[in-house]
This record gives sequence, structure tokens and C-alpha cells, in this order.
Amino acid sequence: MTLAAELPWLWGSLFALALATGAAIWGMLPRYSYDGALTEASSNARFESFVLWSLLLSIVLMTIAMGVRWDRIGHGPFVSLFELLMSQIWSLSIFYIVIYWRAPSLRGTSVIIFPALWVLGSWVLILDPTASFYPATYYNNWKWAHVLFGKVFLGAALFGVGLAGIILLRQTRAAKLFSKMPSSAVLDHIAWRFMMLALIFDSLMLIAGAVWAQDAWGRYWQWDELETSSFLNWLYLGAIIHLRMTYRMPLQVGAWLVIGVFVFAFLTYFGAPYFSPSAHKGVV
Amino acid sequence: MPILSAMASLKVTLVGMLLLSVGSMLTYGGDTGVTVWVLIVPMLLLALNLMCAIATSRKINGQPGLLVFHLSLLALVIVIAVGRLAHLDAQIEIVVGQSFDGSHLVDLQQGPWHTGDLSEITFLQGPYSVSYEPGVQRGATASRIGLLDKNSGFEKEIVVGDDTPLIFGDYRLYTSFNKGYAVILEWLPKEGGSYSGSVNMPSFPLNDYRQKNEWTPPGSDTTVKFWLRLDTGYDEEDYWVLSMDNSSGVLVMTVDDLRVELQEGESLQFDDGLLKYKELTMWMGYTIFYDPTLRWLFFISTFGVLGLGWHLWSRADRLLGQNFESDTKGGVN
Repeated sequence: MTLAAELPWLWGSLFALALATGAAIWGMLPRYSYDGALTEASSNARFESFVLWSLLLSIVLMTIAMGVRWDRIGHGPFVSLFELLMSQIWSLSIFYIVIYWRAPSLRGTSVIIFPALWVLGSWVLILDPTASFYPATYYNNWKWAHVLFGKVFLGAALFGVGLAGIILLRQTRAAKLFSKMPSSAVLDHIAWRFMMLALIFDSLMLIAGAVWAQDAWGRYWQWDELETSSFLNWLYLGAIIHLRMTYRMPLQVGAWLVIGVFVFAFLTYFGAPYFSPSAHKGVV
Repeated sequence: MPILSAMASLKVTLVGMLLLSVGSMLTYGGDTGVTVWVLIVPMLLLALNLMCAIATSRKINGQPGLLVFHLSLLALVIVIAVGRLAHLDAQIEIVVGQSFDGSHLVDLQQGPWHTGDLSEITFLQGPYSVSYEPGVQRGATASRIGLLDKNSGFEKEIVVGDDTPLIFGDYRLYTSFNKGYAVILEWLPKEGGSYSGSVNMPSFPLNDYRQKNEWTPPGSDTTVKFWLRLDTGYDEEDYWVLSMDNSSGVLVMTVDDLRVELQEGESLQFDDGLLKYKELTMWMGYTIFYDPTLRWLFFISTFGVLGLGWHLWSRADRLLGQNFESDTKGGVN
């Protein structure tokens, strides 16, 4: 058995992500003296710097892994679940590192975001890296727009999960871990702002996908499994934004609704292709 | 106008969205046998709700970005409906060397408002090739097309295939997976005259082992059964190109108990005429799609999203009812 050339880089990237995850969680834990008094609050700045650099290293290594695979199989990460997961970990990490870098007060979200990334990371480790077949219809340039918009959408949805997760954790005994972060009302506000961003990019993704589908498969919409799931996801996002703008709802309820967007998107991206032989018809 | 206000209610919107979600789930995967009305009714309800909301709600008609988005949604529903009423979907098989003939369409579906003129489509089918990777994974299709000018004949040659459709006005023709071999036959009846035509064999390589068809010559009582024994170099486990360049075939004809193998150029004498196997050729299947609203759909949806982006991003603080900047300090809330 030969080792796929991209695997060492992938493992390196996930190891760096593991370091970032461990440091992010360790950094959030409170420190106590021998007599039990709290000596240091959460969000240790030294750990945050380590987290930032580890995440950057993870992105660089994942970029190399994707480049090596691209060179090996002759096409980008657009077809098999193995390469789609690599690509998603990469783009979600990029989306998040910008926020982590630019918004220090929100770095506590890393204890939610990194484990979520690890769900993808664990999954990719058990998949077969065999070269995938690249359908002729995938050479269409609209694919790039479709994928790019989708990545921004999923990035915004994942960050919403991070914020919503903090709001929910504040209802537990872990609340004090996030005492340095903005209030839950503020987190809620930011989360919904990201839901708006998600709605815009989800819409753009659907439009670009429809143009691609028209060129590639001769119809812009056919209610196949993936399309229907994407549409339901868009409808759900639109509905909860309407709800949020119209009704006062407890922050916890809003948080669960926000988490629902990512869960829905996750099931659409990685679930629908499992039970749909027609997902992105060019593959068949 | 209480009725208008009631119909404009956000509760109606949410009910419409819920119904549309249920309708979408019922039709999940397509071809489920569920009536299309499970989608149409919620869409009509949402369209009505939206019209009333646009007319009565200051929250919508008082804010340009939001107004643009909701008008775009409404316009999309209308334009999609117009597109379906005017659409045409069909399939056609065209033999290499022959020109498009709109009377040969199969699986034709068209809306009652379809006013397109199929005579706009004028082209000559040229040779084509389809590459395959191991495991019969279809790669690039390159179909050479001779564009014809109605007055002066041949105009120029282009290549279409996969995500490059052949476009005539609002008609778009896409190469399909359906393609294969055909035999050109000439029938010379005893009483004189001649008839030339083609018999298309089933799609290849999908029906590799079933290259059979039958035909009754004009004016004859004899039905001839054909089996095409092909030599194409086709190998499921290897790279391969479907093309006339690497294809030859023996035509096996069966009439009652008589079985004859013919090479290209050979013929078989019947009681009422002579049947000649002139040559082996290929046919290409096209999916024809007509929808005059495509570019409108694109512009309306893009315009709507831009309006939404402008509205949501510039007014997010006010829409969410909080002032983010005033509360960035820590604290459990």
C-alpha cells in the first residue's frame, strides 16, 4: 500500500489544529491557587497567541496538502468527500482565523469552533484518499463562484454556532469561563448579523449553482436531493431571520435556531450526497 | 383595509414558508408522484402575502433595499411561472451528417404559451468523440457542429458538449449521455426508385451487448432484424474514446430463418427489393431546453440579493434592535 502524497501534510495540519484546540480550551480554563482562590481569569493572552499561530500553521499545511493532492490527481477539491472535507476545514479555518485575529473579545468562541472543525477533521482521517474522477461539467467557471459563496455561507454559519454555543454554555456551570467575553445580548446580536451574511451568501450560492446547473446539466433547478436540501436550508434561514426581527425571543431559543442553520447546512453538504445518487449530476 | 393587512401578516409568511418546506420535503428527490401543487399553493400564498406586505408595510416599502429584495422575490415567482408556461423540453437523436429536423423530437413537453420557432435551429451534425476513463466514467464530449445559414448554406463549424450548449436564440441544445451507432441503409424496391435512411442502434456503451433494432423497408412486408457487431476497442477497465475513428461494425440481418452478415457496401436481395448496408455512422442525442426567461431570472435574483445585502448590512443594528457598539465589555447576560 502506498501512502497518498498529501496525507503527511494533512496529518500535520490536523496536528496543528489539535494544538490550537488544546491551547484554546486550556487557555479558557480558570487557574486556582493551592488554597482554592481564583488566581487568573480565562482567555490567557499567551495561549491566544499560540492558538493563532497554530491555526495559521494548520491552514498553511492544509494548503500544501490540497496543492499536493491537486498536483497528484489533476484537479481541485471538488468531487470526493475526502477532498471536500479537506477543502471545508481549510476555508472554515481561514474564515475563523480572520475573526480570531481581528476580534480578540470573541476568541472564546474557539472552544466551540475548533471541536466543530474536529468533527470534519476526524471524518477526513477515516476516508479513502483515492483519486476521484473529475466530470467534464466541472470545468465550468461558475463552479468557482458557487463554491466560494458556499464557503462564505458555511463560514458565517459556523461562527454563528460559536457565538450561540457561548450563549448556551453561559446557562451552565461553565458560564464563568466566558466572563471576559461580551454579554450574551451582544453575542446574540453578532450571531444574527452573521446569519444575515449567511443568508446573502447562501442566496448567491444558489444563484451561481443554478447558472452552473443550467450550463452543465441543461436545467437551472430540478428539485433533486441536494437542490431541495439547499432550498430548505435557505428557507429555514429566511424564516428564522424573520422570526428574530419580529418577535422577542429568549436568547437561548435564538441560539438554538442559529445552531440549526449550521446543522442543516452540514447535513445538506455532507448528508444529501450520501443518499442521493443524483447530487451534482455530472458525477454520474 | 383589514383583509390586506391580515394577508400581509408575517404569520402568513411563516405559515407559507412552513407549507413550502413541507411541500419540498414531500417532493424530495423528484419523481415521487406527489402533485406539483404542494409547491405551487404555498408559493401562491407567499406571493399573495408578499404583494400585500409590499403594499401595506412601511417596513418593506419604506426601505429601498428591502423593497428591491421583496419585489425581486415576487418578480422571480412570476417570471418562473411565465418560464414554465413558455418552456419546451425535448430530446432528439441526430445522425452524423444529417441536419436538425424539429419533427423528430421525442419526449416533448411544452407549456401552453410556447411560441418558439424550432426552424430557428439550423445545423448539421458533424463527427463527435466522447472520452472515457477506466470504469466507464464519461469524460469530455466534443460534438462538431456545422452552423447553417438559411440562405447561403454552411456558415462555420463549432464544437459543443458538456457545459457548452448549442444556442439558437432561447433554444439551448445539450449533448446528452444518450448517443451511439447507426447504420445507413439504402432500399431499392423491385418496382424502381430508392430510399435511403438510417437505423439508430441503442445508446452506446450503455447497451454494449444490445445493439439491436428492426426495420420494415418502405412498401415491403418484410421486417428485418438487425444486430450490429461492433469493433470499437471498448474496454471498461481502460481509457477509451467513442469515435468513428476507431469503430467498425458488421451488420447481422435476420429475416425469418435467414441470417446474413454484411460488411459496409454489401447488400442483401429480398423478393421485393435490395437492401444495401451503405455505411456505419453514429448518432448524438441532444436535450433541448427552451426558456425565454433565463437571463431575467439571473438579473432579478442577483439584483434582489444585492438589495438584501445593502439593506441588511447597513441597517443590521437597527433591525436587530440593539446597539452593538455600546456593549462590548464583558459580562454574563
